[in-house]
Amino acid sequence: MKTCLVVDNSKMIRRVAGRILTEMKFNAEEAENGLEALNYCRGKMPEAILLDWNMPVMDGLTFVKTLRQEPGGNAPVILFCTSERDVIKITEALSAGVDEYIMKPFDSDILASKFHQVGLMG
Amino acid sequence: MSGVLSLKPSYYEALKRLTLELAGVHLGDDHAFLVETRLGVLARQEGYQNLNQMVDDLFGQGHTRLAIKVVSSLLERDTHFNPDPDGLKVIESFILPALHKASAGQVVKILSFACSSGQEPFSLAIIVEKFRQSHPDFNASILGVDYPSPALSRAQDGRYTHFEVQRGLPIRDLISYFDRSGEDWIVKPTLKSMVNFKEFHLLSKLDGLGEFDLVLFRNSLAYYSSPAQIRVIRSLSSIVKPERYLMFGSKENLPSSSYNFDKVEGYKNILIKHPKPIVPEVEPELPKPPPKEYVPDSVKAKPA
Repeated sequence: MKTCLVVDNSKMIRRVAGRILTEMKFNAEEAENGLEALNYCRGKMPEAILLDWNMPVMDGLTFVKTLRQEPGGNAPVILFCTSERDVIKITEALSAGVDEYIMKPFDSDILASKFHQVGLMG
Repeated sequence: MSGVLSLKPSYYEALKRLTLELAGVHLGDDHAFLVETRLGVLARQEGYQNLNQMVDDLFGQGHTRLAIKVVSSLLERDTHFNPDPDGLKVIESFILPALHKASAGQVVKILSFACSSGQEPFSLAIIVEKFRQSHPDFNASILGVDYPSPALSRAQDGRYTHFEVQRGLPIRDLISYFDRSGEDWIVKPTLKSMVNFKEFHLLSKLDGLGEFDLVLFRNSLAYYSSPAQIRVIRSLSSIVKPERYLMFGSKENLPSSSYNFDKVEGYKNILIKHPKPIVPEVEPELPKPPPKEYVPDSVKAKPA
């Protein structure tokens, strides 16, 4: 079973995303911010990371840039999941090494569709 | 039918018959809820107090315009961008290169038959735009046709919601080919100029649409009754140019009869139209058989 790390400071988002991921047959793990996520990844790289942008302690973009420099840090498929919809912001995330981008609000259909696109399912 | 539904059961049966007669499509028994919600919205838009009043009027007065609106809203499908990704890959790797080679600089004409809210034609336009980056002399025009419906009007606007653009469309394609407009996203003019839409009764004669190099008719065949399947494939055969393609969904079973098409080896969902029959310009004069001489029975040789 593949693991997806859900990184979001909102407990509700972590819970909702976790439930959808479980339905999609993923093992869902949680982190509250970029630094917690980085510590998790240093222990064991997950196959996928669903990542919020604006979080206290360490934001999503800093996390991506740091992780991609770490040994094995290019392996996880990273999907940003954020309320940022500005094309400049999206482009910035993609050039930092994000694979896909989900704009909040999202539903299970969108999550499944994006996971299919990046080859995490089926 | 469930007690929460308001439509009279006899009306539900009549609507099923109407859909079969007008569009050749079977509505299943599990469509009752869909009928209620879709037609409830239409009834409000058409100024009726409730669904039963609209259906009373429909069957009482026999309004053709209303009948078409009712049937098209019942047939409206929830479509995604890049529907059938396997099929689109085949278009990218096999069909477009073949059409590029065969078209010799002519505009390649593509038809999306039953295009609903337009995601298929626009997904095709994105593939064509990408293909043009390596083949700048390739030009295509895409036509989407479907029954008149709110879905088709939205396709004509090229405007999609935050939710729609996230179903099937990779983020890089979204930011390359769409502009943000408030909460929605609008297809960029370069892409939109390649695509046109037309209201069309899908079971009517198709000759008026012109001839196409590629016709896409995907994932709808199974809903049609057997006579309607034959009718629609026969008509589609008349608008595919000789030695050009008719494509179905990747997981669809193709009809067994050929209707002037051959299967394309290696691609089970693509048919290729037979080459144009070679017709001699002048009817050849056939040697006339010598006139038979009349021989009366009495003169015929009798067995000895």
